[in-house]
Amino acid sequence: MARFTNYILTGVDDIWHVFTQELLRIVRDPGIILIFFVAGLGYPILYNLIYWNDTLTDVPVAVVDDDASVYSRRFLHKWEATPDVKIAYICQSMQEAELLMKQQKIHGILYIPSDFSRQIETAGGQAHLSLYADMSSFLYMKAVYMSANMVMIDEMHHIQIDRYERLGMDDETAWTLVQGVPYEEVNLFVPSAGYSSFLVPAMLIMIIHQTLFFGVGMLAGTAREENKTLFFIPGRKRRRSVFRITFGRALAYFIVYMAISAIDLLIVPRLFHLPHVGNSWDILAFTIPFLLAAIFFSMTISLCVRNRETGMVTLVATTLIVFFISGVSWPQAALPTGWLYLSYLIPATWGINGFVHINTMGATLAQASTEINALWTLAALWFVTASVGLWLSGYLHDKRQELSTK
Amino acid sequence: MKELRAVIVRELKQMFARPLYIFSSVVIMAVSVTFFLSLMKEGTPEKMPIAVVDHDHSSISRRFVHEMNATQSVEVVAVVSSYAEARDMLQRGHIYGFMELPERFYADLASQRRPTVSFYISHAYTVGASTAYKQMLTMVNLASGAFQREILRMKGMNEGQIMNIIQPIVLEGHFIANPWSSYPIYLLSTIIPGILGVVIVMLTVFSIGYELKTSTSPQWLETAGGNFAIAIIGKMLPYTLLFLVLGLGCNALLFHFMHFPVMGSYWGLANNMIAFVLAEQCLAVFFIGLLPTLRDAISLGALYSMLSFSLSGFTYPKMGMLPFVQALTNIFPLRHYYVNYVYEALMGASFVQCIPQYVAYFIFMTLPFFIFKRLHGAMINLNFPKK
Repeated sequence: MARFTNYILTGVDDIWHVFTQELLRIVRDPGIILIFFVAGLGYPILYNLIYWNDTLTDVPVAVVDDDASVYSRRFLHKWEATPDVKIAYICQSMQEAELLMKQQKIHGILYIPSDFSRQIETAGGQAHLSLYADMSSFLYMKAVYMSANMVMIDEMHHIQIDRYERLGMDDETAWTLVQGVPYEEVNLFVPSAGYSSFLVPAMLIMIIHQTLFFGVGMLAGTAREENKTLFFIPGRKRRRSVFRITFGRALAYFIVYMAISAIDLLIVPRLFHLPHVGNSWDILAFTIPFLLAAIFFSMTISLCVRNRETGMVTLVATTLIVFFISGVSWPQAALPTGWLYLSYLIPATWGINGFVHINTMGATLAQASTEINALWTLAALWFVTASVGLWLSGYLHDKRQELSTK
Repeated sequence: MKELRAVIVRELKQMFARPLYIFSSVVIMAVSVTFFLSLMKEGTPEKMPIAVVDHDHSSISRRFVHEMNATQSVEVVAVVSSYAEARDMLQRGHIYGFMELPERFYADLASQRRPTVSFYISHAYTVGASTAYKQMLTMVNLASGAFQREILRMKGMNEGQIMNIIQPIVLEGHFIANPWSSYPIYLLSTIIPGILGVVIVMLTVFSIGYELKTSTSPQWLETAGGNFAIAIIGKMLPYTLLFLVLGLGCNALLFHFMHFPVMGSYWGLANNMIAFVLAEQCLAVFFIGLLPTLRDAISLGALYSMLSFSLSGFTYPKMGMLPFVQALTNIFPLRHYYVNYVYEALMGASFVQCIPQYVAYFIFMTLPFFIFKRLHGAMINLNFPKK
């Protein structure tokens, strides 16, 4: 019993020793302060400023109205009244409008041919409109095309009603014909359907994950440069001490990042009016397995980092992959199978999806259980790889020294 | 000339002495390009999971589900009987949206009582939601049209009359240069050069900063015969060549082999890439000159580079940003790359449109002159912290 108590006590003592040492290394290193605190807390604000407006409105467009009738003007009035576009130019010819498009002064052109009103007034006529949409950004296309399409459907109903009434139907019957199946649409959870409401919550998790990843890599690289055996507690058997070291260091990162996460995930969404219908305690509870998985993942990868800077030099460019593989920008349901399985190993994937479900869509912890269980599993898996990897690197280091002394 | 060659040879030896240089350029680019092209190989996302809440349980509601499944873009993964069940699936991330068919849907439709169908989508996943929404909308409009056609046919109209009465206005959409509204064309034409930009900044900062860190810069300068310009140019040239091969290789891959649209000329796009590579390199030299401590310059380069994707405005357009953020977009070469790409590839605009961006690239290229003294001093005196 006494041996066991002693074992526990030295274990706690060792962990405490590693933990305090690691905390000191964090606060004494300006490079780490820059990544953990300046980037970890500054980026969320920066991204909110970049996507401040949430939705794109008043996209400038040009119109070429060869008809110049009551009908064409009504169409244009309705289009102008949508929040999406602003009729910036009225052109005399398509050539003129095309030139404006090529100069990117406008992002859409509506052409109304001269027989527009005649076709509408003719009993069985069909009027044609041509819309030219700038495809340089998805949001331009969406704003220009969707708004024109909505106006077109509205006008279409009008004309149909006119025609049916001319055929002697009453209003009620005409509407039944025009829209036999009416619909209503509801944007659940994100009423604005805006860009920042969708992107920024996912970015918050991405920022935590990536700053942690590169910061831990930098700390590991620095430790290697300063002293190759710093990873081991003097006077302890290595077999035992690897777990204590891994755990002690992780605890330091965990404490620091719980504070950063609380600010980024709870305060930032409220400050910048991002969606935040989730329960705050649920978000904090979810953050625990996410951080542990991310920390042990980073510690495992950092075993391959030889110098202070090499982790960043080689892997910063992969941030885009980590983001796209998570299934927020590009739907997870459209991810090729191989990439899907790879994405399961990265804590950011589960972190982003779980946070979006809880924070943006108000999921409970029970509803986010798939993500939470996956994160605990990853935390365990990456803890083992981080510890075993550490033991292995110590073993190889000793072997090399033996060889060189021989 | 002899010194220049000596510096180049020295640099080539360093490049191949450690796997880091080739890994963080060639391997990273190859992995990124493979990843993104395979990720978006279908152009638009397919088989987005949705659910149907069927309160009607009639033959017509089953046909609705069947016809939804026959489309490319969505797949009905569940037919449930309550709104709560569907909402739960949405919150768990199993579906991107759902459609609710009311009770007596079939009966009301048959007796012309206009049953209302509801769509629910969550823009927390905006691409999946938009795809699901578009398809649900199309389905309902088709249903309305089919119903109308049926009634008119009973009234004895012929098909031509019916067609025009159902659709008295047609809006013909012309999607300039990207008629399929394909996502890879929107995204990859800027993401891939953007990743190359990150690679350029990181590797350039590293190659110079590592000399300062390991105190080998006096020896590097000596190889150049003490001439700073020769030292820098000789060191950069092998990388310039490497980055140009990568950049123009990506151009060839996207615009030639993947048939991304090119309304202007391949030469215009090649010039844009060449100027972009040089601008990024000079910007990186500026970073390490500004902060001649490797780890600081690397952090600066990394933090800066990650912002270029958002601020180049290829996803969320510049016009939607706050005025001071709009001004900020100009300090990213990727922004100018994207603008020129739009002019050259999508618009086929005249070269005059591209001139302001080339002026911007040129300004980036002059940046090293501003830190010339500081970097030169650091190389000789090694007077900056190394750790």
